[in-house]
Amino acid sequence: MDSGFIALITMYLVASVRMATPLILAGLGEAVSEKAGILNIGVEAIMLSGAFFSFIVAFFTGNLYLGLLTGILGGILVSMIHAVLSIHCKANQTIAGLALNFMVMGLTSFLFLIVFGQTTTIPACNMFGDLKIPLLSSIPIIGPALFNQNIFVYLALIGIILTAIFFYKTEWGINLQAVGEYPQAANSAGLNVFAIRYFACFINGVLGGLGGASITLGQLGFFMENVTSGRGYIALVAVILGRRNPIGIFAAAMVIGFSQALQYNLQTLGFPIPTQVFTMFPYLVAVIVLFLSIGKSIDPSALGIPFERNKR
Amino acid sequence: MKQFGKLLSYLGIAFLTLSISILLILLVGSSVTQAFSSFLSGIFGSFYSVSEVMVKATPLILTGLGVAVGSRSGFINIGAEGQLYMGAIAVTFIAFWLNDLPAMVMIPLVILGGFVFGGIWSVIPGFLKARFGISEVITTLMFNYIALSIVGILVRTLLKDPASSLPMSAFLPDGATLPTLISTTRLHAGILVALISVVLVWLLVWKTPTGYEMRAVGLNPRASKCAGISVYKNIILSSLISGGLAGIAGVCEVSGLHHKLLEGISPGYGYIAIIVALLGKNHPVGVVISALGIAALQVGSLGMQRMAGVPTSISSIIMGVVVLLILARKSLFRRLLTDE
Repeated sequence: MDSGFIALITMYLVASVRMATPLILAGLGEAVSEKAGILNIGVEAIMLSGAFFSFIVAFFTGNLYLGLLTGILGGILVSMIHAVLSIHCKANQTIAGLALNFMVMGLTSFLFLIVFGQTTTIPACNMFGDLKIPLLSSIPIIGPALFNQNIFVYLALIGIILTAIFFYKTEWGINLQAVGEYPQAANSAGLNVFAIRYFACFINGVLGGLGGASITLGQLGFFMENVTSGRGYIALVAVILGRRNPIGIFAAAMVIGFSQALQYNLQTLGFPIPTQVFTMFPYLVAVIVLFLSIGKSIDPSALGIPFERNKR
Repeated sequence: MKQFGKLLSYLGIAFLTLSISILLILLVGSSVTQAFSSFLSGIFGSFYSVSEVMVKATPLILTGLGVAVGSRSGFINIGAEGQLYMGAIAVTFIAFWLNDLPAMVMIPLVILGGFVFGGIWSVIPGFLKARFGISEVITTLMFNYIALSIVGILVRTLLKDPASSLPMSAFLPDGATLPTLISTTRLHAGILVALISVVLVWLLVWKTPTGYEMRAVGLNPRASKCAGISVYKNIILSSLISGGLAGIAGVCEVSGLHHKLLEGISPGYGYIAIIVALLGKNHPVGVVISALGIAALQVGSLGMQRMAGVPTSISSIIMGVVVLLILARKSLFRRLLTDE
């Protein structure tokens, strides 16, 4: 292989990891939530809230870490509304998620307009810089992609490892799964179904908020109306494509990130292929994967179904 | 007593929503009375503004009706947006393919085509749900994005207007356009198509054995199965109708309003449709009322932005808040709703 080719691969890999980071973070959160039986299609709202609050605080205090923290809080706020509605009120989780998307979408653009007014210049804040990890970052090809990135990429990578351990190596992970598969049995076995589901939603908020903050504080350095532009929905696709497995979600997010990176690149180069071909690609793959997985049970059995203790 | 409590709980929701709206208006620093009067004059201020409400309500009635039909038999259709775009693709293809047909033949043909395209787009997730138990929520959502991308590709390649540099199709031939009802407005015959669909759906779902089966499957699939009703057949059927109606919405938007295919013909009608169906209690008459209500909210908020400086995103907040409150209603007003 000549060096030009390696440089190209490295460049695409770096870009793909960047594009994939918000999806990985939000996707991991959603996977935790779905494993516990809570289907939250309001990931978009969680991310948007995280993006908005992290930006506002980073802009006015100049402290990026404080911004990151408020981004997480913003995510938790939204996911807990969804949690109360779907666990306590036993509401339809899909509709609750959708309504949150509308509300947060409206609220963030509303508040943004109030704070900054109609401006022609987009207000910008600082961004997290790249942290080079010595030695590891000099591995060819994957070094620059994984070990010379901003804090969010590292958080996403740590998140993958931690969720994988949590899911497959701890008793908590088994409890989580039990609650999502057969809450009645989990309840009989002495697990607190409600508490575990609330906990799962909380994690979803933390990671989703982080995912949103990674867009404003890691990729763009500014906020605008609907800045997530559907990334929350794409994260849902990454979860399905990765079958709620942390490694799978990473792979799925990378496929999506790569097609996004390719899309921007071809756009600038002026290729005659409509970029929508690449936009469509991840969804097509996800549909094909769904078709291929027909016959195998992949969804947690109690996904989307409220738990009522005195019902069988 | 129970009915009264129910009424009070809905009044409570209305009160909370109103309070939140007032709070938001105060947050902007506008005068509340001016905001409300500009909201109302934005809707009822002129003949044109009233007609705009109907124009916006047309796709909401059709997509909302589709979502409602799906919900009635347990098919949660998040994909009305994509199905709408498939209908829009259908009308454009048919119109250019059979471009010299008279309107008498062409209009029914494009409506049928839209129904079939939209229906196919929704029957695939319906089939996956009915046959393999794959959740339709995520599949319909993914199909939205695929449909949007297909439109994006088509308006740049196959259907692109060679005379324009923008990604859009050429104007449809005259035979394929729905007539404008009142000349100074944008109000087109799509509203009639929507209202006829409402009547037909009501007849089908509430007055025929087929409709009875569809509703039974939605209420209790297991009991229906035991009673000899095919769950599979009814989910397929309701998903077909559900998507078909959204497809017709796409036909009406293209041949009634835009007269060409372009991206962004729907500012999220397919998602708002879910709210429309929820507020309309999945009933055709309820859908018409809630579609008109939401259309009025959107048109009115435009007036509020123009005259009182309140951002239009307030309409999106209100829609979300109302739905969240309705979902929480039974817990919020538990005291009112339990019979004492």
